[in-house]
Amino acid sequence: MVYNTALGILQNAEDAEDVTQEVFVQVFESIKTFKAESKLSTWLYRITVSKALDHLRRKKRKKRFAYIQSLFGAGGETIIEKPDFNHPGVALDNKERSAMLFRAIDRLPENQKIAFTLHKVEGLSYQEISDVMRTSVSSVESLMHRAKNNLKKLLQDHYQSKE
Amino acid sequence: MSTKKSIQEEVEKTLNSLEGIQRASANPYLFTLIKARLESEERGFWSRALTYLSRPSVAVPAIVLTILINTAIFFELKSDKVPPPQDEEQAFAREYNLSDTTIYESTIEPE
Repeated sequence: MVYNTALGILQNAEDAEDVTQEVFVQVFESIKTFKAESKLSTWLYRITVSKALDHLRRKKRKKRFAYIQSLFGAGGETIIEKPDFNHPGVALDNKERSAMLFRAIDRLPENQKIAFTLHKVEGLSYQEISDVMRTSVSSVESLMHRAKNNLKKLLQDHYQSKE
Repeated sequence: MSTKKSIQEEVEKTLNSLEGIQRASANPYLFTLIKARLESEERGFWSRALTYLSRPSVAVPAIVLTILINTAIFFELKSDKVPPPQDEEQAFAREYNLSDTTIYESTIEPE
């Protein structure tokens, strides 16, 4: 559950393993503060999403810094474009399409990415997603609607450029 | 028109490509790594304190701060112009030749 969620958000197995470790350490340290106001699974999802987003932001900062360094000829590492992500749980005949979809998901704003990933990859209901994200069901519906519209636009642009 | 329709179909198929997705399972060694990390978190307070203090980001500023405080105290003492009372007494004794008393110099007359 933790690993699968982290994998869906980060789209990288090594990063997902790192985040999974951090989540379990966090749970170990703060289990005493768990007040059972929500389900344990909801709490776990919240920590996983939070850690995954922190990881993503750290990576983006490093990438931005490396880009600035390269502008000044600091001769850092070459920025390699991320390879296509293949989720191991996707059926073989959908691999190529799902890789394209994950690439588009990666470009969504954070909240839309989280809502879409929790719904499509983890199979959570809108109610469960609203508990995890501490928001209302209608907000989740709105996020999903906007996520789908943005994804359609990105995929349309991709297919049109291929024509 | 048919191109647009086919693009729409492709987009829909791609959006639905995650239908029936199975949960990914982690590397079997991940559990061992997590267990080792949790066990290391269970170490005692002093062990964790020493680990924290030995970090360069903590140790270096602590050493620099100690040196700065010592230097400040050193210069504070050096710049002190008032001599300590003992020095005053010795200076007085030297002036009036009261400092050295040996058995040869003492002239205690019997009563």
